Amino acid sequence: MKKNEILEEILKEVDKHPEIMSRREALKFLSVSPLAASLLAGTTVGTSAISASTVKGKIVIVGGGLAGMSTAARLNNTITNADITVIEPDPLSVSYQPGQTLVAGGIWDKSEIVYKRDDKLPSGVKLIKGSVTAFDPDNNKITVDSKEEISYDQLIIATGLTLNYGAIKGLSGEITSSTTDNAAVKEKVGVNGVHSIFFQDGAAATWDGIQELIAQAKAHTGEKKLQAVFTHPDTPIKCGGAPKKIMYLTHARLEEAGVRDKVELTFYANGKDMFGIPEYHEAILEQFKTRGFKWNYAHNLTGMDTDAKIATFNHHWTEKGAWDEDLEEFGVILKSENVNVAYDFIHITPPMKAHDVVGKSKIGSNAGWVPVQKESLQHVKYKNVWCLGDVAAVPMGKTGGSVRKQYKVLIDNMIASMEGKTTLPAAYGGYTVCPLITGIGTVMLAEFDWSQKPTPSFPLDPTKERWIWWLLKVYALKPMTAIGMLSGRA
Amino acid sequence: MTNKITAITISAIATIAFTACGTNKHEEVKTYKMSAAEVFQASCIKCHGANGEGNPEKKTPKISDKTIGELEQDIYDVKNGGSNQSSGTTHTVMEHNMQKLIEKGYDYDTKVMATYMYETFHK
Ligand SMILES: Cc1cc2nc3c(=O)[nH]c(=O)nc-3n(C[C@H](O)[C@H](O)[C@H](O)COP(=O)(O)OP(=O)(O)OC[C@H]3O[C@@H](n4cnc5c(N)ncnc54)[C@H](O)[C@@H]3O)c2cc1C
Ligand code: HEC
Repeated sequence: MKKNEILEEILKEVDKHPEIMSRREALKFLSVSPLAASLLAGTTVGTSAISASTVKGKIVIVGGGLAGMSTAARLNNTITNADITVIEPDPLSVSYQPGQTLVAGGIWDKSEIVYKRDDKLPSGVKLIKGSVTAFDPDNNKITVDSKEEISYDQLIIATGLTLNYGAIKGLSGEITSSTTDNAAVKEKVGVNGVHSIFFQDGAAATWDGIQELIAQAKAHTGEKKLQAVFTHPDTPIKCGGAPKKIMYLTHARLEEAGVRDKVELTFYANGKDMFGIPEYHEAILEQFKTRGFKWNYAHNLTGMDTDAKIATFNHHWTEKGAWDEDLEEFGVILKSENVNVAYDFIHITPPMKAHDVVGKSKIGSNAGWVPVQKESLQHVKYKNVWCLGDVAAVPMGKTGGSVRKQYKVLIDNMIASMEGKTTLPAAYGGYTVCPLITGIGTVMLAEFDWSQKPTPSFPLDPTKERWIWWLLKVYALKPMTAIGMLSGRA
Repeated sequence: MTNKITAITISAIATIAFTACGTNKHEEVKTYKMSAAEVFQASCIKCHGANGEGNPEKKTPKISDKTIGELEQDIYDVKNGGSNQSSGTTHTVMEHNMQKLIEKGYDYDTKVMATYMYETFHK
């Protein structure tokens, strides 16, 4: 789909509902969001902004998901006769993960988000179908599948993250990519009212789960409501809004089926607010209240008894401690207790971490993620190692929207470095976008950066839920990602 | 007709997009009462030690082996109460400390402090 087709697709939907908004108004909205604006502009302007470089050197990219494959494509467009190798084991690595939310909500079919790695491999880029099993950055070498040694001049880490279901007592397994090796996890997740949209099969199963919940609710009698529980863990996660989006969609489906009053929806989060940015926090709180949601902060899911249907949370708080001479103030004492919650339906957002093979290697860190200078995306220790996407230790950065900013920055800096320049020209400002689906037909387009403020600087309230952002999310972001980014152009 | 409107809008959008990318309006220039060095010597040093060696008695971890980038990340995290929606932070104690210290005037620029700490620990 080309740029005008994306726009036309949205405008066609707009035309069907003149009572909501006119074409003119729609265009006005689309031009005020930095995301929508750059999205539509980016596809028109295309590659003309990229100037060709003739730098030489072997570039190896570990991980060919959204970040790795987009970077390969853009590098390939930018460097003449580039020597690029991508290492990626998952044949469906470039599938559209943000669409998993819509699959779980019964809006899309799973087949609509499946994309094949081999179809997206830019011509001239070499592919190794395997996993990196060891990193030796002191000697500029990596090992693939424990046997093949590969050397590099520049290394780009784009391995995404591991969904660590096994860290929750009573569940098992880890998932390293959205579409692979999930048998252990699926023993307990995706059945029996236990769901998780973070991997592709899990997302499809969630839609079945929601329908089961509706059927259960229809048959339900008695005072006590059915309990639907939605969790948010204590680690950084990809797409910070996803745990809430699935809650909004479940609500919408229950309401549509006329059984919303039979089910109580409760959000259990490890943190102490809905969003780090006060404006969005307040907006979400209002949305929760309007929908009759309940919420409990400082609750971290630690255990699951899937037979008894009980979830165990670590509930934590602080109490005033003794006077601290060094602080010249009272200190705090950490307190915690276990809380058992009975559920009929639970959506689990698992703890997430870097893959151990990356996080525990020399390029990793104690915190697990790959430490980079957060503005330049250059590794803090190894000057020829770069990192982007979900695995990078970058505050707030784990979304496709941030990858869209990061890959351009990384490429500009890496090429400058290969040209022998000592100052790196490009800086990432922490831009992230979270199209928070608040219902079927509405989205709040939360755009923000490290300034901890909403980023749109236009006279339009960014905290409002709007239909037009829904159209953007449903019609524009997928072609934008699958066609624009993966060819290095958006 | 439609095509014309679309074309005009796209070029308008393009202009907006490029100006929006080019300038970073959110970077507020903040001035601090004390330099990072003064803050460190007056406060942080008491718990973290002159060389970032930490203090087991006060459950203060060793931070001398961190790189500038890592220190910057950690300080950013501590100052902002974690940096992920609803995930919270693993630095509950230090978050409390930092809030109190900032109230007392011990505020500083994250990057400058990270650099100062690193250079001090590696003298
Ligand atoms: C449910 C859900 C909803 C989301 N919604 C949104 C949204 O609305 N907006 C948004 O912007 N983003 C959203 N995202 C986030 C977005 O999908 C990710 O941020 C993005 O995919 C990150 O790209 P990545 O390349 O870093 O990781 P991935 O796309 O996960 O790719 C990493 C790749 O590395 C490979 N790999 C791993 N280990 C190795 C190894 N050792 N050797 C070689 N290869 C390896 C894996 O096989 C994988 O293919 C969502 C994600 C999910 C799960
Ligand atoms: C009263 C004692 C005290 C003072 C004063 C203090 N800290 Fe801390 N700090 C701690 C403790 C205890 C921890 C570990 C617990 C935690 O992270 O919550 C910690 C943790 C940290 C961490 C996280 C380290 C890691 O391993 O992730 C950073 C960064 C930090 N402090 C920076 C500072 C800075 C900068 C100052 C001065 C402005 C300072 N601290 C002053 C007690 C103190």
